[in-house]
Amino acid sequence: MKLSYRKGRVALAATSLMLSVMGTAAMADTPSWCGPKKATLALLDGFGGNSWRLVTTASGKAEAALCPSITDYQYADGQGNTQKAISDIKSFAAKGTSAIVVFGDSGPAVLPALKAAHAAGSVVVPYRVNVGGEAGKDYTKFIGSSFKDDGVNWGNWIKGILPNGGNVLFLSGPAGNSQGLDELAGMKTVLNAKYVFINPTPFDVTNWDPSLTQQVLSAEIAKNKKIDVIVSDFGPSLVGALPVFKKFNRSIPALATSDGNSLGCFWKDNAKDNPSFKLFTVATGNDNVRLAVRWAVASATGGVLPTEKIFKAPVFEDSVSGKPSAVQCRHDLPGSIYLSAVMSGDDQAKAVNK
Amino acid sequence: MKMPRFVVAKGFVTVLISTWILIAICFAFAPSSVAPGALSGSLPFAAILAIVGLGQMLVVQQGGFDLSIAGGVSLAVVIATHYPAGDSAYLLPAILIAYACAALVGVLNGLLVGFVRLNAIVATIGMNALIYGGVFAVSGGVPRITTPLLAAIAGGDTFGVGHAVYFALALLLVVTFVMKKTVYGRRFEAVGANPLAAASIGLNVRLHQMMAYVLAQLLFCTAGLLIAGITSQPTAFQGDSLLLPSVAVVVLGGTSLLGGRGFPISTLIAAFFLNQLSQFAFAVGVPYSAQTIIQALALGFGIAIYSIHLPSTTKEIIKMSNWEDENEVIVS
Repeated sequence: MKLSYRKGRVALAATSLMLSVMGTAAMADTPSWCGPKKATLALLDGFGGNSWRLVTTASGKAEAALCPSITDYQYADGQGNTQKAISDIKSFAAKGTSAIVVFGDSGPAVLPALKAAHAAGSVVVPYRVNVGGEAGKDYTKFIGSSFKDDGVNWGNWIKGILPNGGNVLFLSGPAGNSQGLDELAGMKTVLNAKYVFINPTPFDVTNWDPSLTQQVLSAEIAKNKKIDVIVSDFGPSLVGALPVFKKFNRSIPALATSDGNSLGCFWKDNAKDNPSFKLFTVATGNDNVRLAVRWAVASATGGVLPTEKIFKAPVFEDSVSGKPSAVQCRHDLPGSIYLSAVMSGDDQAKAVNK
Repeated sequence: MKMPRFVVAKGFVTVLISTWILIAICFAFAPSSVAPGALSGSLPFAAILAIVGLGQMLVVQQGGFDLSIAGGVSLAVVIATHYPAGDSAYLLPAILIAYACAALVGVLNGLLVGFVRLNAIVATIGMNALIYGGVFAVSGGVPRITTPLLAAIAGGDTFGVGHAVYFALALLLVVTFVMKKTVYGRRFEAVGANPLAAASIGLNVRLHQMMAYVLAQLLFCTAGLLIAGITSQPTAFQGDSLLLPSVAVVVLGGTSLLGGRGFPISTLIAAFFLNQLSQFAFAVGVPYSAQTIIQALALGFGIAIYSIHLPSTTKEIIKMSNWEDENEVIVS
């Protein structure tokens, strides 16, 4: 009951936002990627159950609303169930939806459904998770995210703060996840042998679970007398774990990671007591969906195709140089929002909160 | 048959010796895993495992299983983090709501298993799905930050030891006292050991079985509240990873899966053992696949030591061969 109420409210807010944006857009210039042909759009999520996904979904919706040629916008959540994700794709294709943007969490498992939808005449744009196949043949375009680029950004920052080398501890998600491997490859292009990775190769497995992260981190701290910098691809999951350093009477080391409001606020609250706690973040990448929506809308409405073909997460916060931004914290907003996203913090809070 | 006056449970001796051996191995090969800082970081998680282990033990004593532990723990986590939404003033009502929900789930489980006589595994898996519906209704699957008060109560430490450890020790005392020293506890064990005999002397078997599920859920709820305090931004599925370990510590602690006597202290030590084992694997720094294999092997080894009793097993084999000989005589 509560859930449907919340959904209703979000839908209402989004519709009013869409209407008002559409109203002003008619007067203002429509973006170049929005062509004159009328089209319908569906955003299909493989798993919609965390705050990152909620913000991403709201971002996708806001981007679609910029184009008045989109007459209908739909969203479906695969709920982490591959079967449902596949049937969502098929049913939207069967309904004749002109453009489908897919977060293919199940990877190549959804490829046959994407192929079928593409063959049936829909514009199909998978994004972020590689689904295999070939652009142009199996689907229209894949809008990936450059995790290697994140690794390069982290590596360059680490070189800046530790010019003489040091010990690096790298934490990522489930064993063997390609995101972590790409990030490591990116870091390796910048960091030479002076920088020692003290975690088991390729990275410490945390499953992105805060409680496992906490256990892994306390084991690593006990084992390693000297940790100069921690690299993690999910910053907010470290907030519960970093206080472990205090139990060892050690200062929190430098941290290169992705952003999150809870992390920014944690830094603000703890930087004074931990002299070596420097923070560097790349954007968590909620706006990956915006690029995917632009491609889908441009292809379906006859607009100008965007020049970018891959989403590069911009550098967000740097506590050392303050560029492009100093560390940000909004104590008045939920910890689970991402201030790096284009969508304003307040709008994200509305999307995330009941 | 003569019985010694003072009998130490075999499960207790086994788990204690295994734990000492593990600690010795830790000191020899991975001293960092037994450093004071590492222990203070990992003991709260051992304490949580011990608490869910005690809950699971009560159900196993009645010959059942409570697989709704994953949902039960997760529900407590999301109620404790979503209802107050960071405001410590709402923490007390949130905790009361969490316990009320846990008691309700426990009663439903107990009714299904004790009175409707459904298979415990089937009933509690179904209940787990139902609780997860509740978890989604409360949270939408989205994590929320813990209130500062809960973080201080559950995640804080006194004398360098995390509060969760004190909670686990206190609950151990309560469970041990009630089970071993009160009339209710003795009856509870008697019902678990032999429901038919218990019924024939006039004990209410179904009520005792139901109470096992209620008490278990209350303990799961406590564990969930502690997790909510210890991890600052817990996910909505925090209970999932506790399902198998909760059964493992009960078995390692020596409680028979057929029901009967429970061994609370052994269960607590087994929780420490399992937790220390994963700390050892982390500290050795082997790849993740090897960590998993080490844990599985040690667990299998622990259970094997406990289940195979060499002298009696040999006797059994001799007896069986004699029995076959006798049968052959009869046939011929």
